[in-house]
Amino acid sequence: MRMRRIGAAAVLALVFVAACDGLPGKPKESDRPLSPWQVKSFTVLFSGNCAGCHGAGGRFGAAYELANPTFQALVDDAALTGIVSQGMAGTAMPPFAHKYGGFLTDAQIGILVDGMRRRWRVGAAPPNAPPLAGGGGDPARGAQVFARSCAPCHGADGEGSPKAPGSIVDPSYLTLVSDDAIRTLIVAGRTDLGHPDWRGYPPGQPLSAQQVADVVAWMAAKRPRFVPGSYARNP
Amino acid sequence: MSLRQIARDVGAWLDHRLGLSGPIIEAAEHPVPRSSASWWYVFGSAAFAVMVLQFITGLCLATVYAPSADRAWQSLLYLNYDQPLGWFIRAMHGWGSNFMIGLVCIHMAQVFLFGAYKYPRELTWVAGVVLLLATLGMAFTGQVLRFDQDAYWGLGIGAAIAGRTPFIGGRVVKMILGGPIIAGETLSRFFTLHVFVIPGLLIAFVGLHLFLVLRLGINEWPMPGRLVKRDTYLAQYHELVSKDGEPFFPFAAQKDLVFIGLIIAALVVTAAVMGPIGPNGEPDPAIIETVPRPDFFFLWLFSVFALLPPWTETFLMLTGPVAAIGLLFLVPFISGTGEKSYRRRPVSVMILVLSFMTIGILIYLGTYSPWSPHMEAWSSVPTPVDYVSGRTPLELQGAVLIQAKQCRNCHALGGQGGMRGPALDRTATRLTPDQIVRQIVQGGGNMPAYGRNLTPAEVNAIVAFLATMHPAHQPPARLAARPQRPEQTDASP
Amino acid sequence: MSEAVKPLQPSEATPEKPVSRRVFLLKLGILLNAIAAALFAVPVIGYLASPMRKFAWMSWISLGPLENFPESQTRLATYRNPYTKPWDGMTANIPCWVRREHGDNFRVFAINCTHLGCPVRWFPESELFMCPCHGGVFYSDGERASGPPPRALYQYSHKVENGQLWIKAGQLPTLGEPLA
Repeated sequence: MRMRRIGAAAVLALVFVAACDGLPGKPKESDRPLSPWQVKSFTVLFSGNCAGCHGAGGRFGAAYELANPTFQALVDDAALTGIVSQGMAGTAMPPFAHKYGGFLTDAQIGILVDGMRRRWRVGAAPPNAPPLAGGGGDPARGAQVFARSCAPCHGADGEGSPKAPGSIVDPSYLTLVSDDAIRTLIVAGRTDLGHPDWRGYPPGQPLSAQQVADVVAWMAAKRPRFVPGSYARNP
Repeated sequence: MSLRQIARDVGAWLDHRLGLSGPIIEAAEHPVPRSSASWWYVFGSAAFAVMVLQFITGLCLATVYAPSADRAWQSLLYLNYDQPLGWFIRAMHGWGSNFMIGLVCIHMAQVFLFGAYKYPRELTWVAGVVLLLATLGMAFTGQVLRFDQDAYWGLGIGAAIAGRTPFIGGRVVKMILGGPIIAGETLSRFFTLHVFVIPGLLIAFVGLHLFLVLRLGINEWPMPGRLVKRDTYLAQYHELVSKDGEPFFPFAAQKDLVFIGLIIAALVVTAAVMGPIGPNGEPDPAIIETVPRPDFFFLWLFSVFALLPPWTETFLMLTGPVAAIGLLFLVPFISGTGEKSYRRRPVSVMILVLSFMTIGILIYLGTYSPWSPHMEAWSSVPTPVDYVSGRTPLELQGAVLIQAKQCRNCHALGGQGGMRGPALDRTATRLTPDQIVRQIVQGGGNMPAYGRNLTPAEVNAIVAFLATMHPAHQPPARLAARPQRPEQTDASP
Repeated sequence: MSEAVKPLQPSEATPEKPVSRRVFLLKLGILLNAIAAALFAVPVIGYLASPMRKFAWMSWISLGPLENFPESQTRLATYRNPYTKPWDGMTANIPCWVRREHGDNFRVFAINCTHLGCPVRWFPESELFMCPCHGGVFYSDGERASGPPPRALYQYSHKVENGQLWIKAGQLPTLGEPLA
């Protein structure tokens, strides 16, 4: 009688010990603490470093829409890696690579770029698309292009209209965006906020590479040397 | 011969030489007041039981843990992932420490409420305060032995407090750290404290505490109106236990036993479900992407350090603990006689309730630390979509800058972000654009001045964005001296 | 027991009798033990308190070539603490913030917040150091910007030699013993 009871207790103890591996408290491999440079998950890296400005899921952020398929189709890996590593001169985009004072390793930046391409690039680059980088525009011609293609929404002088409120030639605004940033916006658009890409000015009349360069030059010509304001330093 | 017979013979042989059965039976059957065999009197023995468990699990951990700065963290991970059942022993030890602190505090509150520290049990209380301090000491040193980033920077906080001592601050820091900086000798020092010094102290003072309880008798249930007087109390107590006493075992011990069983079962279940506590990242100070926080039993102190006015800080950090501990020791000498019942001691009840509420609220505040910048908020918490859509190009740049210039680290939008400064959702209802400019450029009210760090264009963009931050039904703030513009007058009824 | 105590009583009852051998031996024993205890305690205390003695903890150590530090930027540098033991492991990797104003004009800040020693983080975008513990904030020159810290960030003594930046390091900076 007693021996049977002891035997039962021993079996129970063994079962308990064996069951321990299935207990909810047992640490999982995924709970293992990681050093910052060991983080390899795109989701973790993107939501930790990019989502603040570019929005959760790369859309509806204050800064540019990374989930825009047209943008992802037009930009190449090297350019994207360069922007993430070194930041984008003339904009608020900061550098993220260790070498430039950021907190990400080159491998992590590779994971970010790769993840963005894989998620948001749909198909190959459309034919006849103007490049995202370039120059050599003419402000005078740009004024004509603007009057035809942009003024319907942004107003005759760029000061905005009920359709697209707010000035795009505001001295402060122009100081805070670089030519490349303006070009990217004109060429790839922002699908989340309703700005068309180069094919939609108006639909059916796509802008040529030269026309894009001209509009950018026209806006760049309006960028002031100094923004007045005695209360803060100029760059 | 049966097994039982053999056991009885061995016992008799030992007792013939040791002669301990008499005193043990006497102690176990010492009379206690019938009223003391209450469910209120079970916390001390439960704390003792958990302490014994801590000794056992601690011993187990010591067989694997490497008390060396370069290996400690790895050995903790080994315990969690590779050593069979290592995670469970770590969980038992970690949660056991939380249980023990909880039980010690409840026990102490009960003793305080029931006036059990009064004549002649002053020394029992004093030994109890030493035990409380030793328990907290075990908790702190144990947190250091869990040698991760929190442990490393926790040591840094301790050193920074010690470094504030006038004249000898630097030397005190080196004495605590065992050298000029947190390194191998620091861990070895805390290992010595956690494994040898404080456990020895605990055993000695638990012995004294129990000896005094046996010698002086368990406190009777406090009756309102029955006052403690130095010249009559002992006789009264004797009369009480001889007339209306019961042997401790089994009369009172049965409740202790039931409660101890429940507590240990609860501890095992907690450990099995919640798992081991930490460790978090490796204790490499070069990893600065860390947000150090102490375990909850020191979180209230962490909060105090954030909330004290800076000019009182050094003085209070150094004198506060001494004064608080001194007061605890003095409790039985301040009110050593008189009324025992909490029904007739409103001030004591208030002190107790206030202390627990204060510490509870401070711990709650510490869990989300509204005074700290959220270091990752700027890059990880998106601007609410409502604040992005329908904004002008300049306002949108302002929204970008609110993120990129780390404003979100201290200011929330849509309920997310830092809580150091006010949320920005309704800024425009409080400040005119000019006032926003002044606040950004000059700072003030605990905000750094951004005048040197922002260009005029950046300030303009941020102000343009913040000027939109008012609900549709509520107009933005305006300067009272300036007349409203006609369109605004038209809009208002 | 009682037999051992009794013989003492007659000698105590006759005070004119000179000090008995037994009392003398007892006193001598206590004295000898006190001396021995002192002889033992001094080295033990000296051993335990040795970190309090003044040693030359601090020595010069290189943070690497000047090219690692672009002008008017603040960068994180990590050095191996010069005062270290083989079993210090990763705890001897000490970070610091290097600000290169221009040319050879540097400021090297300790990582520790002056409030309670937590690691401050530099944000180049807003040009501020922020502390994750109690909300201390410092400007790029190390001056206190807001929060509870009682003083500016601690700074290392530094020099430029052979194209490298050197700092004098070795101990944890506290209010009691700031670095410089």
